[in-house]
Amino acid sequence: MIFAFANQKGGVGKTTTAVTLADGLARMKKRTLLVDLDPQGHLALSFGLEKSPGLYRLVCLDEPLSSVVVPVRPNLDLVAGDKQTEKVKRQITLADFRETILSDILASSAYDAVLLDLAPSLDVLHINGLIAADWVVIPTRLDALAVDGVKEILTTMAEIGRNGHSYRGYSILPTFFDRTTRETLLQFEELTRVFGASVWPPVPQDTRVRETAAYGQTLWEYSPRSTSIEGFKDGRQRLGGYRQVLARVLEVLDA
Amino acid sequence: MPEDKKQRRSALDPAVADLLKGMQQKQSEAQLPRRERERISRERAKIQARRDQRATYDLPPSIREGLRLLAEELRLPASQLATLALARFLQEYHHGSVDLGKYKQPSRSPRYDWNLVFPDELIASARRKKRD
Repeated sequence: MIFAFANQKGGVGKTTTAVTLADGLARMKKRTLLVDLDPQGHLALSFGLEKSPGLYRLVCLDEPLSSVVVPVRPNLDLVAGDKQTEKVKRQITLADFRETILSDILASSAYDAVLLDLAPSLDVLHINGLIAADWVVIPTRLDALAVDGVKEILTTMAEIGRNGHSYRGYSILPTFFDRTTRETLLQFEELTRVFGASVWPPVPQDTRVRETAAYGQTLWEYSPRSTSIEGFKDGRQRLGGYRQVLARVLEVLDA
Repeated sequence: MPEDKKQRRSALDPAVADLLKGMQQKQSEAQLPRRERERISRERAKIQARRDQRATYDLPPSIREGLRLLAEELRLPASQLATLALARFLQEYHHGSVDLGKYKQPSRSPRYDWNLVFPDELIASARRKKRD
């Protein structure tokens, strides 16, 4: 099962979400692969590693998947990226059947879950990621510009769908969620009104999230009791947070 | 042919629905006059303070009814009577004057080793008629 994390708007929490959910799945004993499709190469940094041209070696040098993956945690492998990912885009643009190159490479992989971290752009690599995906997770801040990014991704998915690709589904994941502001409420109401059950429990705004990358650790390692993992306290229950989001991902995987 | 089950599905993820409801409630409270807001805030604080005192147990209906009748008769809160009953039980148990052995039966549940099986007369006697 392949998940793509996409939003053309930058800074909405795509990479953090991909890292946190990938490590969460790995901790649940799911064999997980994380693929960095962003030339910024931030996935490697998130695990305390140097950037490396894993995607370039995979696509441009035709190296097998098994030789380019880096085991980053138990049950979790990474195809890292760096600025050479730009060359991947150029090579793909010149290739035949260019839209399905990534999909073809990943089709035979033996992972329970593959998570693709897409760059905030709409280029050929982005389209490759969306075509390879069975399920698209769209992280979004609750502001008008980021929510517009959601609509753009859904429009692109619809176009891809018209060309014969079928998705198992998609989810919208509100991030940087600050429940005290009126703007958050208005945008949240609008999202839930339009997208209903496709809106997943939001991830609270939490300084801990920013700190994790600096330590090269995942949230589960750095701050497993943080609000961004456990959600908002509401009486005896907890609402939102990556733990609930992970449960939704597992529901999709096991469905 | 399988039975056609018609099940109404929630339009929202349950956690999203709860969060949204809470936010909308807070937002509408923010529009209220100051006094009203303070009253609601005091009530909420009271409910929160009592939260640790609340417990949920499965009890035979006759025990619950017996406690309710006694509380009515003595004009006391039933919770306080339940507190007294449990405190005395724990005290007596720790002094060794309560023998659970005669009620114990092996449990087939993976969670528990034992069940307590009470004789009917013990449970039925809990709902005693009002004293004259």
